[in-house]
Amino acid sequence: MSDCSIFEWNDLRLPLDEDGFLQQPERWDPRVALALASTEGLTELTDAHWKIINHIRDYYRQFDIAPMVRKICKETGYSLREIYGLFPSGPAKGACRVAGLPRPTGCV
Amino acid sequence: MKKNLLYFDNAATAWPKPENVYRFMLDFYRDTGVNPGRSGFDLALEAGSLLDKLRQRLTRFFGGDEDAPERLCFGYNATDALNLIIPGLLGAGDHVVSTNLEHNSVIRPINHLVRDLGVQATFLPFDSAGFIDPHAVANAIRRNTKLVIINHGSNVIGTVQPVREIGRLCRERNVTFAIDTAQTAGIIPINMKEMNVDVLAFTGHKGLMGSMGIGGLCVRKHVELRQVRSGGTGVRSAHPYHLEEYPWRMEFGTPNMLGVAALWAGQDWLAEQGGVETIHAREMELAQKLVDGLRPIDGVHLYCCDSLQNHVATILINIDGMEAGDVGVMLDVDHDVATRAGLHCAPLVHQQLGTLDIHGGVRFSIGPFNTDGQVDAVIRAVEDIAAWRKQRQQARAAAAAR
Repeated sequence: MSDCSIFEWNDLRLPLDEDGFLQQPERWDPRVALALASTEGLTELTDAHWKIINHIRDYYRQFDIAPMVRKICKETGYSLREIYGLFPSGPAKGACRVAGLPRPTGCV
Repeated sequence: MKKNLLYFDNAATAWPKPENVYRFMLDFYRDTGVNPGRSGFDLALEAGSLLDKLRQRLTRFFGGDEDAPERLCFGYNATDALNLIIPGLLGAGDHVVSTNLEHNSVIRPINHLVRDLGVQATFLPFDSAGFIDPHAVANAIRRNTKLVIINHGSNVIGTVQPVREIGRLCRERNVTFAIDTAQTAGIIPINMKEMNVDVLAFTGHKGLMGSMGIGGLCVRKHVELRQVRSGGTGVRSAHPYHLEEYPWRMEFGTPNMLGVAALWAGQDWLAEQGGVETIHAREMELAQKLVDGLRPIDGVHLYCCDSLQNHVATILINIDGMEAGDVGVMLDVDHDVATRAGLHCAPLVHQQLGTLDIHGGVRFSIGPFNTDGQVDAVIRAVEDIAAWRKQRQQARAAAAAR
């Protein structure tokens, strides 16, 4: 675990990587999701948020990889811009992070 | 091919490939896909013949030593070739001059030698237009400088370096000069002799219109390149060490004959189009149209393309207040535009541009199959995203003021 920091939210202490992704995915639960959502500036998670989070988690459980963004839009019925409205950092850095997935790989 | 996709990621790989490349690859591999240079049966000799003819053809194409085509050696790609060139020319106590424009295929092999062997390295900055000053290269050369290695064309900002002048200055100082042509081979004319280039690394799947998994190096006759790998060559099997003669000196194991076939057909295609100059001129017209269309859009930043002289058709942008990755996702999902967003495996470029903090930029790289209409669509897409960004920012500001 490198470049890890501890994020404190109420009584939770969560190790996050440098981009704010959960370092111990097994610790994810709805309260952790709310904690992670607070870093997005969100104070609550609505049904719309949960629809997206649950889809991402289900897909990850099945395929061990985050779903393609197009797939998230198609399966949840939300447009990309609506997803940005719900998760200001977008589907990858916002929704996937709140869903407790590890940081997606890519050339960044 | 995915319908409606606007493919602007040709700097990552040229796609699609010409039809004759697909056809020849399949036909050759089906009919002649045996191991060349090993067994003596006729078909193996025929396969070997294509390999040898391609060495000659590419040696001519790159302006290498035509009486020594065996010094055109095949590997997997440019990175693979650079990993033979850099450690093959540098040892403990040596100094190398390179630039902030390099891809990790140069930066990392150098850094490993710095860390592991005590090699000294100088990475020169580029100017505000994206170019390396040849005299800065000359001034950086020390008594122990053994190699100057330069990215011929930047995979991030598209600038093409003055290699002829840099090569001349290196030649005067008796320093080996190598270039990475990943973004220029098959895209702009290259002549090693005229450009004073001693060693060249190339990849096959970009401008040369071959397939992934084929690339190599071309080594001038006066250059001594140490072996850093060893293995099977198919000839003189009783010899206990890897052969010193070219091409075996720099080739290891069975070659990628499917890739060889692709490169051969790619050469045919480039010739049929009227040569690289013709294709490049068309790509640069589209690049200019793209720049002219993007520049007036509020919030859009373009990098190092005030002039497209000495440029390949690669354009880097950012949109104010947005991470490059978000722009890339929106281009893809909402507009079917394929680009590459991020650091492009070239962190020093982004460090110098000041774009590391926003995780790089969005790169549009134009290829021979892009069209005017596609460029128009890309401009509209960026306009749409920039307008959305502005509305979102205004809405947030209004909410904060309430």
